[in-house]
Amino acid sequence: MVTLTTALISWDRVAYLNRWASQDGCGAVVTFVGVVRADRHEHRAVQALFYEAYREMAEPLIRQLVDEAAARWSLNGVQIQHRLGLVEAGQISVLVVVSAQHRAQAYAASQFLIERIKDDVPIWKREQYDDGTSQWAACTPELLDVADPLGAEHAHV
Amino acid sequence: MLRDAAGAEECWVALRLGARGTDVKTVLASRYPRLHGLLDYARLAVNCSYQPWDAPLRDGDELALIPPVSGG
Repeated sequence: MVTLTTALISWDRVAYLNRWASQDGCGAVVTFVGVVRADRHEHRAVQALFYEAYREMAEPLIRQLVDEAAARWSLNGVQIQHRLGLVEAGQISVLVVVSAQHRAQAYAASQFLIERIKDDVPIWKREQYDDGTSQWAACTPELLDVADPLGAEHAHV
Repeated sequence: MLRDAAGAEECWVALRLGARGTDVKTVLASRYPRLHGLLDYARLAVNCSYQPWDAPLRDGDELALIPPVSGG
């Protein structure tokens, strides 16, 4: 099951999905919880992240990754939830729950899924700082220079 | 990111038969000068599936330019 949601992913939900995953002859559940980190950049701190997705592509692509993982490691079940919209520091941004008969399969599939989600799935985040500015999170500084030539101060206008 | 730079979320591009992804890149770079430079970092998706930039295009294809992703 793959869900992109603007609703809060609560710790109760994490517990519920872990319980769900631990049924049907499974011997190992590996859960990855991604949390918004309150990074500091010089004079400002990340207060929240704003996530956007190209949904028509993102959801099918994650499902395709799940199918690939399930075939490769013979998994019992997979649940993936990813937040969209505004996610405050400390809140859960992504959740990957994998159940398998043995831990080696569950660990491997869990890492495969989160790495491929981060590398390939069309989801982007904008960092919102405590001084009211914001900036796209970019992999390379060169890209940021081209994308935001006026710098984050522009956001004040 | 590209949307912000171009000031447009989507657009129509008319191409000759046999056009490839790279031709779209050329059209967009001239139509939206601020995309110049950014497009070098983008990946091409055709009908919601990643394709190489030299992939041949067909009439009615929906293209997306995907800047480096940052989910998770």
